[in-house]
Amino acid sequence: MPLDTSAYSLALLRVDGRRWNELRRVHAQIRTQAAADGSSYLEMGHTKVMCVVTGPSEPGARRGGTTGGAGGGGNNAAEVSVTVVVAGFSSVDRKRRGRGDKRNLELQSTISNALAASLHTHLYPHSTISISLHVLSQDGSLLAALINAATLACVDAGIPMTDYVVACTAGSTSTYAANDEDADPLLDLNHQEEQELPSLTVATLGATDRVAVLVCESRVQASRLEGMLAVGVDGCKQVREILDRVVRDKGRKMVSEGTVERGIGLESMDLD
Amino acid sequence: MASLKRSVESDPLAASISSKVYVRSTKSGKVQKIVREVYLRQDIPCSSKLCHACAATTPRDASGRAIPPVLSEAPAGTKLLPHGHYLVPDTNAFLSAMDLFEQESAFYDVVVLQIVLEELKNRSLPLYNRLIGLTKSEDKRFYVFFNEFRLETHVPRLDGETVNDRNDRAVRKAVAWYGKHLKQTKAKKVPAVVMLSNDRDNLRKAKDEGILAYSLADYVKQLKDGERLLDMIPETEDGESVKDRRPGQLFYDEYYSMSKMMTGIKSGLLHQGTFNVSPYNYLEGSIRVPAFPKALLILGRENINRSVDGDLVVVQVLPKDQWKEPSTQVIEEDAITKNENPDTEEGSGLVSEKERKALQEEVKRTHSKTTEGHAQPTAKVVGVIKRNWRQYVGHIDQSSVSQSSQQGRKQDSVFVVPMDKKIPKIRLRTRQVAELVGKRILVTIDAWDRGSRHPTGHFVRSLGELETKAAETEALLLEYDVQYRPFPKTVLDCLPKEGHDWKVPTSIEDPGWRDREDLRGLGICSIDPIGCQDIDDALHARPLENGNIEVGVHIADVSHFVRPNNAMDTEASIRGTTVYLVDKRIDMLPMLLGTDLCSLKPYVERFAFSVLWELTPEADVINMRFTKSVIKSREAFSYEQAQLRVDDASQQDDLTKSIRTLMSLSRHLKQKRMDAGALSLSSPEVKVQMESETSDPIDVKTKQHLDTMSLVEEFMLLANVSVARKIYDAFPQTALLRRHGEPPATNFDELANQLRVKKNLTLHVDSSRALADSLDTCVDPSEPFFNTLIRIMATRCMMAAEYFCAGTQAYPEFRHYGLASEIYTHFTSPIRRYADLVAHRQLAAAIDYEPVHPAVRSRGRLEAVCKNINVRHRNAQLAGRASIAYYVGQALRGRETEEDGFVMKIFSNGFVVLVPRFGIESLIRLRDLAEPEPEATFDAETYTLETKGSREVKVELFQKVRVKVTDQKDETTGKRGVRMEFVKAY
Ligand SMILES: [Zn+2]
Repeated sequence: MPLDTSAYSLALLRVDGRRWNELRRVHAQIRTQAAADGSSYLEMGHTKVMCVVTGPSEPGARRGGTTGGAGGGGNNAAEVSVTVVVAGFSSVDRKRRGRGDKRNLELQSTISNALAASLHTHLYPHSTISISLHVLSQDGSLLAALINAATLACVDAGIPMTDYVVACTAGSTSTYAANDEDADPLLDLNHQEEQELPSLTVATLGATDRVAVLVCESRVQASRLEGMLAVGVDGCKQVREILDRVVRDKGRKMVSEGTVERGIGLESMDLD
Repeated sequence: MASLKRSVESDPLAASISSKVYVRSTKSGKVQKIVREVYLRQDIPCSSKLCHACAATTPRDASGRAIPPVLSEAPAGTKLLPHGHYLVPDTNAFLSAMDLFEQESAFYDVVVLQIVLEELKNRSLPLYNRLIGLTKSEDKRFYVFFNEFRLETHVPRLDGETVNDRNDRAVRKAVAWYGKHLKQTKAKKVPAVVMLSNDRDNLRKAKDEGILAYSLADYVKQLKDGERLLDMIPETEDGESVKDRRPGQLFYDEYYSMSKMMTGIKSGLLHQGTFNVSPYNYLEGSIRVPAFPKALLILGRENINRSVDGDLVVVQVLPKDQWKEPSTQVIEEDAITKNENPDTEEGSGLVSEKERKALQEEVKRTHSKTTEGHAQPTAKVVGVIKRNWRQYVGHIDQSSVSQSSQQGRKQDSVFVVPMDKKIPKIRLRTRQVAELVGKRILVTIDAWDRGSRHPTGHFVRSLGELETKAAETEALLLEYDVQYRPFPKTVLDCLPKEGHDWKVPTSIEDPGWRDREDLRGLGICSIDPIGCQDIDDALHARPLENGNIEVGVHIADVSHFVRPNNAMDTEASIRGTTVYLVDKRIDMLPMLLGTDLCSLKPYVERFAFSVLWELTPEADVINMRFTKSVIKSREAFSYEQAQLRVDDASQQDDLTKSIRTLMSLSRHLKQKRMDAGALSLSSPEVKVQMESETSDPIDVKTKQHLDTMSLVEEFMLLANVSVARKIYDAFPQTALLRRHGEPPATNFDELANQLRVKKNLTLHVDSSRALADSLDTCVDPSEPFFNTLIRIMATRCMMAAEYFCAGTQAYPEFRHYGLASEIYTHFTSPIRRYADLVAHRQLAAAIDYEPVHPAVRSRGRLEAVCKNINVRHRNAQLAGRASIAYYVGQALRGRETEEDGFVMKIFSNGFVVLVPRFGIESLIRLRDLAEPEPEATFDAETYTLETKGSREVKVELFQKVRVKVTDQKDETTGKRGVRMEFVKAY
């Protein structure tokens, strides 16, 4: 077994060799399933998720999940319905989580509310946008990865939105109980770090400082929170860059392959 | 078109990302595969002050601070390495000779590789912690190089390569890289980079690859005081060990593989538990496992199979026809293995002739009777999960020293007899036999392989001449792991700057007075043992208008001075408790606090934490509250002084009157506890009187019990129970409490049977109440001490009380069996117990005096604290007792007295006598009775031993006997102890 997170102070290196302010490798693809309205695949380190978006569709033709948390809502705007399916093989202990699992429900409603804030749901009254997320592998920062994947899939589905909703986690190098004033903030925690250290998930609207989601389930001193949040917001900006590049690359590729005509929508993007 | 390719291949960064696969087996026996990412980088510095390249890319933390380079620009050289050198030890080197690295004379500028640190952590947590300590020390210059994260030194595991081989390769690669990297600095004198290993294979491969590598011994020989250091290098399988010379002879069965043991445990065929050696028979051990109500017996060397007291082992239960009764015979290691030769291990088999004889007699006895009902399951050790080896204090067995080694400096094998009788003799190879004979020495066990009858170890350091006060005291502290070094500067820096001039602020506006009640007007006094300097508690009582009484218990406000998580708090939490020896006190907190600023000394104002009750004259609680306060104690009494005042009717001052009130209330309180079933237990307590000038022990007195002692005790119990309730209400998950488990009824089987057979008395053990009542009936009208004897023996059947975190137990388990209280904690001695300090912090938060500090609310952290203080508490008690035993021996030195004693244990070849006057017990063997050893018949049913021949005596359990007590230096253990000679039976 590798050393634990307490070894950070020895050489300012984290358990996987990163520095405090480094993201893990993010790999993303969009339009992974041609048949779907929108789809994406995203990896943050070993956390791997897939997303399929269906809709916006009229209520009669409502497909997809019925359980998910629903944001937006009301009759004048589209409902954003999210389902998260966690594969049994995704985590080390291989425990299956049922559909009604509390944690799952919470994930679903958080994601739904976050996206509803950016998607122009008012353009689709009386309809539903179904977002179906599949967790293939878990290694920390799960909520962040799910939000990022959902954003990409919504872009692919062509649903108008204000900006990307991008997320990442932030933590702190020493435990709550250690109460270390000099603890460094950490960006993008993996599973081991999440187990041992305080952490939070933050999502922002694009590259702005507007926070769309802030979830903190561990105990941490208020004095450390500010530093963590700043690092998290900064991480979101980096994530946005990465996602944006994925979208643009895909767009460029589709144009050059002739899948899409160079049109109005794409002209506004820098294609070189 | 949209296939999901394996992303790593398409990623430009992929070259610098690797992943590691671990396989871990869980407690329940499942196997988990864990895949972890590793990010490889090139900005991990070599940390040499010579290197400018690394200085440019040195990592910075979030506030922009960089870690300065560690390794010296001009490291020390040796005979063969004139340009200086950096050391890179492998895991093996640290595992086998951590003591070497802690030397002050050598071992500076050491590169600790990450892979080595990881391996060490998996193998031994204590050694890991010691190494981390070294990396934090500024003058030792130990640098942790994260070789696994540096692109150039990362080594992927090859197909078919074992983990060990891969790790060794990683070490060699890192050494090679360091060498190449340092050459680039173009310094005038480039230090050599030396790999240290005791693994032959690794050394050979290093040589093949052109890497400079030494074995520990070859390296140490180059140093100035190499001779001395050589002794600290242990024997290893790969070293030049004795084993090479004697191939093939294996004494012990091989251990099962870890996976075989795990499967066995899971299927219930094997059992796991802690191995304990019987104090009277070194060839008998026992192990408690959940599957059996009684402990499993482990008899004989073969079955014990190299386990040492305290090891976590796996056992296999033997077939039923091999089940036995626990031994009724005393078998001492030194008597039986006395003449073994440490060098040759004479004798054809594992079990020596003498041992076989001793065991034979044992078997004869068991076969001669129908023992079916009594037989206990026996087991055999098939593997060790975790060794509990530590450093042991002992001395060289004079009889194992050969003449030649007395003179020369050639390396020789000798036996070291540990002070702890439960630990087997340790074979030691040393060049300094002549210097070490007659000294107290510290040694470790390194290994116990199948080919060696005794474990092998190495010498760590000498404590001094046997029987000198300094050496014996240090030996005792080391044996019980008492932290006795002076407080470091970081701790002393946490003390108030005013030092002894610190005073309670005069202005009530001062922040120190915030939310404190001014109780300076109350007639408070303290009652403690004579000469007590660290006064934790003080009391007062005053009548109220409604006829009730206000009683206050005031406890030193230590938490005001010791803030959570500072260096002083951390140190105190490690020490856990103050340790009291006969002539020495090892404080938990620095003197300034313990004996001055916190101590509730008389005539001065002090901060306190007070518990105030309104009690009826019958001591029923009407009201109670807790407050931080300022008090001024009127007087510090000793128990004796207070008792004299109370008894002297002419004393009618307020203070005496309030002590009398407290006295009367305490009797009511005690009665209430007794009615609830509290036990009055006993342990023989004595006090060693010292001559005031030389502090040499001159006499031993049994402690006298005074009413004023139980006065203080009752109110402390009341305060502890009240506080326990309060903090549990406020923090149901994290309150730090103390419980005393109900002992399993089987613990009393033996004692109950003995009482029934010998005295026709019945012992009821269904509840503490029943036990208390039946203990009251255990009296012998002709012998007043008999009742105390039974209480002492009953106490030994009990469980140990323990600290715990409220969330870890269900409420019914909180019970304190001995005190018959539903809930209990320690609150009243924060100067000398860390648990009390935590309770203070929790109580302060519970009454909203201050916000809850995370350290007292984090359950994981508190559980770790409990675990530590439970061990410390027990060690402190054992050390205290051992210290008394040592001084009793010293006080008796050269004297000879006849005393009355009682037989408290009986064997087929000896019996144990307790002498209440000195609080000591000692074994009298048959061979001590007369020369030649008389023949004896032992009746286990009636606990009677009758001898014939050279001396005729009849000894029974519980019998009163007359013994002659002298002191003797035990030649084998080197301890001066008490020797008892049997005079007559009454
Ligand atoms: Zn360098």
